[in-house]
Amino acid sequence: MSSYSTTMKRSLEIELISAEGLRIDRKPVKKKTFCVVKIDEKRRDSKLDELGGSYPIWNDKIETELPINGSVRYISIEVFYRTSGGCEKSIGYAKIPITDFMGGFAPHGHLNFLSYRLRDEYGDKSGIVNVSIMVKPNGGDNNKYWSSPSSSSTVVAPVDYAKCSSQATVNGQMWRQKASTSSMSGYGGRVVTGVPVGCAYQQS
Amino acid sequence: MGGCFSGDLQGGKQAIGGVQQRPTSTINNNAAHNDAVDFFFRSRGQFPLFSQIELSLSGSNLIDRDITSKSDPMAVMYLRKKDGKLEEIGRTEVILNNLNPKWIEKITVSFQFEAVQTLVFHVYDVDTRYHNVPVKTLKLKDQDFLGEATCVLSEIMTRPNRSVTLHLTGNFGAGVNRRLGTLLVQAEETIASKTVVEMNFRCINLDNKDLFSKSDPFIRISRIVENSGAVPICRTEVVDNNLNPVYRPVCLTMQQFGSKETPLVIECFDFNSSGNHELIGKTEKSVAELQRLCLQREVANFVYPSMVHDNKVLKGKLIVDRFEEKVQYSFLDYISSGFELNFMVAVDFTASNGDPRNSSSLHYIDPSGRLNSYQQAITEVGEVIQFYDSDRRFPAWGFGGRTSDGQVSHAFNLNGASYGDEVVGIEGIMAAYGNALRNVALAGPTLFSHVVDRAAHIASQSLSTNSPKYFVLLIITDGVLTDMAGTLDALVRASDLPLSVLIVGVGNADFKQMEILDADKGSRLESSTGRIATRDIVQFVPMREIHSGQVSVVQALLEELPGQFLSYVRSRKINPVGAPAV
Repeated sequence: MSSYSTTMKRSLEIELISAEGLRIDRKPVKKKTFCVVKIDEKRRDSKLDELGGSYPIWNDKIETELPINGSVRYISIEVFYRTSGGCEKSIGYAKIPITDFMGGFAPHGHLNFLSYRLRDEYGDKSGIVNVSIMVKPNGGDNNKYWSSPSSSSTVVAPVDYAKCSSQATVNGQMWRQKASTSSMSGYGGRVVTGVPVGCAYQQS
Repeated sequence: MGGCFSGDLQGGKQAIGGVQQRPTSTINNNAAHNDAVDFFFRSRGQFPLFSQIELSLSGSNLIDRDITSKSDPMAVMYLRKKDGKLEEIGRTEVILNNLNPKWIEKITVSFQFEAVQTLVFHVYDVDTRYHNVPVKTLKLKDQDFLGEATCVLSEIMTRPNRSVTLHLTGNFGAGVNRRLGTLLVQAEETIASKTVVEMNFRCINLDNKDLFSKSDPFIRISRIVENSGAVPICRTEVVDNNLNPVYRPVCLTMQQFGSKETPLVIECFDFNSSGNHELIGKTEKSVAELQRLCLQREVANFVYPSMVHDNKVLKGKLIVDRFEEKVQYSFLDYISSGFELNFMVAVDFTASNGDPRNSSSLHYIDPSGRLNSYQQAITEVGEVIQFYDSDRRFPAWGFGGRTSDGQVSHAFNLNGASYGDEVVGIEGIMAAYGNALRNVALAGPTLFSHVVDRAAHIASQSLSTNSPKYFVLLIITDGVLTDMAGTLDALVRASDLPLSVLIVGVGNADFKQMEILDADKGSRLESSTGRIATRDIVQFVPMREIHSGQVSVVQALLEELPGQFLSYVRSRKINPVGAPAV
């Protein structure tokens, strides 16, 4: 891995927009809710929604930074409700692979509207959370590794990621292609390790 | 049903009409006037023989199917097709504990002058445990039936007040002949208007109507219609236990409020779980007056209507914290301003279509030159898409075929070239298709994910060049899909791009899988990794419906595209090229 990769960071603008159909034990949530985004143990909370019940709207923008040296592969989103006693209880949790908004189809500066299934501690569905994430298009030269769609490394990755569901062999190809981008090799390899969860599921 | 008092009431408390949950959600029943179809006909000197009509429904004296409380009614409207089957057009919202509901959600239907359009209305009592789910996802067989009514659309349109009262009927066992109540249907022509107003309402000093706690107020806005009283157009959410409630922004289209001078009745109610919402106070203001209230920082007093004396002026006041008038551009505004639509075509070369030498095959090469099912679909669909595609150049691919190198490919260039997948016009697609049919052996499996990814890749390239383009991938298939999970993943991944996928089904296979991909039932597509589609980007069109004359090819293809397009540009606040920022 190249020397500067340990210090590289990207600024992100994350908007915690809303959630739909929040449930606890299959019953709709009626309490006040808020949403928490965690990057690398750094936690940011949205404001409290008091009106929406199981369909809260936060529309809360959060500016944050994401280290892109390969140490962070996911952003985690968790929705909580506040009990009348002031305690926080979790409703559900979702992991956002950073490949969903970086290095994939969308160039820098693109506003990604993303939605995820929330699951509670038992793995049961507990709603859907809607967020938007924008990777700020600054940072000079480093940009080209991510944003230029004409460079084969960034373009091929998502396409092959798709194919892994049907053809395991293509997967191998992808690793090689990713690895060929010199400075990003460590990163590229690690990012993809998150993917086979879905693949395993599909192939079974 | 039953136990409504103890059950979940959340469902009855949300806002109806004019509030959007997600920035990318497509408009439901209130779908904008489909100007795309109109434009296609007009440009050829033809005038479409239909106009868009919006129907408001209200029921009275419905029967009571709940034991401890009243019915929770919802109405569903169908169009009876030529073969007698019912096609669902739209649903109203569910109103809690009310036998005389006035539904706010309108249902839009296109009125065809030359055709007899039989409308069928079904009214259901929605079970309490379904109150919190989007109405489109409700399974109707799980609900209690309250009766049905039928009329012909032209019957409503020819009446002077454009409304008709229908008696509900139903089969509730032998010898049971109950009065099931009536359904009032009011029709209005939709107007293609671009003005939208967004307002933030707040109330102060509302009267307390509850004994042990404070009122749970919500606001209902109705428009006064000549000859037929007031039609409710929107309702805010309920704020519990609060005499000074602050509401979420309310967004009204000109379709809803008529004109800025039309008087609106603004009523504030105390939400009551029995459905018997108690009026706290009302006021009558037009949109123009509401705007003035906001500008001059004035307040409107609520009054309580009284039969005997003059109306009693209350302490409670209505405040408009924000008033914003916006222009909501239509699909045509974008297209005519230079926003490009780019079509891509993918043709199914899997073996499930049948051997091309066999006359029963969908890919049959007829020596007499008669068009096979795919060729028919390409010519008919091609005519529409080349009208909307400015350069008439289409990337064209095939999938599921064994190409000349002996490998099965899930996205090969239809023209056989190793570089350059573009063909020009319908002739180009037809030539490339004919060529491919001779050189490619039908194989399998059927995977959509590769062509969807290729299309997504092209769409994402336009993002980085910031060009005003929107892409449409047309997949022509017999509809038998091998890899549903992979397809879902690819579609979910592409759902945030300027891309729509139009699936045209040929032949008579079972299209159930295609219906699942076309998420019209209200549930969003979900990938195997737990990501959910940002918006609905898929539309499925079975060719057999077009050939049986139930719907024209233009209408079928362009039914959802304008809405999908608008959900993309509006969520990103993209304006037509050269239009002033709103």
